[in-house]
Amino acid sequence: MAMIKRLLTVVLCLLLIPATAVVTAAVKQRFADGPNRFFSGGPLIAGEMHAGAEPNWSFVNDIPTIEMQLVDPPRSRRIWTVEHAGKLYVWSGYMQTTVGRWWKGWPPQAERDGRAVLRIDGKRYERQLVRITSGQALDGICQAITDKYPSRTTRAGVEAGDVWLFEATPRS
Amino acid sequence: MKLFYQCIAVAVVITALAVAFVPGVDEYVEATAQGFVGSWAR
Repeated sequence: MAMIKRLLTVVLCLLLIPATAVVTAAVKQRFADGPNRFFSGGPLIAGEMHAGAEPNWSFVNDIPTIEMQLVDPPRSRRIWTVEHAGKLYVWSGYMQTTVGRWWKGWPPQAERDGRAVLRIDGKRYERQLVRITSGQALDGICQAITDKYPSRTTRAGVEAGDVWLFEATPRS
Repeated sequence: MKLFYQCIAVAVVITALAVAFVPGVDEYVEATAQGFVGSWAR
């Protein structure tokens, strides 16, 4: 029994090293202007804030990822995006898996308070995230998603809550 | 065992300093963590 206890202690001590690396990297990113790739970043500071008419969002279909920050809490992450029928969409998958719910904290936060700032090609846009859970438009949006990314996002997945889809509408 | 604990403590401090200040180390840690969590989430 003492041997097992000692072995367990050694394993836990060794795991402390990668855990320290992950926590340090995550904390470091929180103080940065925006996310890197996985860990949440701080508020989006740099970049001109868009003002004026609604942009033609079709240009985002040539951009792999964008930076998105919620106003509350003021943390940013890098996410996929797609334009469909002149509207801009962001989404989060794996929302019905345990790891997914732990990993993707922003969708419930965005549902509570949808105010967001997007930074695309260095320019910032104030938007309001509005969750979409049903509707005919889902077919076209999901098609646009699977055309752009190696994703299996489907209308059924969105309606079942496995994928949380948001339209990034203008903030009034 | 005392020496082992001391070595772990030193390794933890060095790891934290390396991730915080050595360019590229945080990037490596982040990419590795992303790979693990991505595969667990599926």
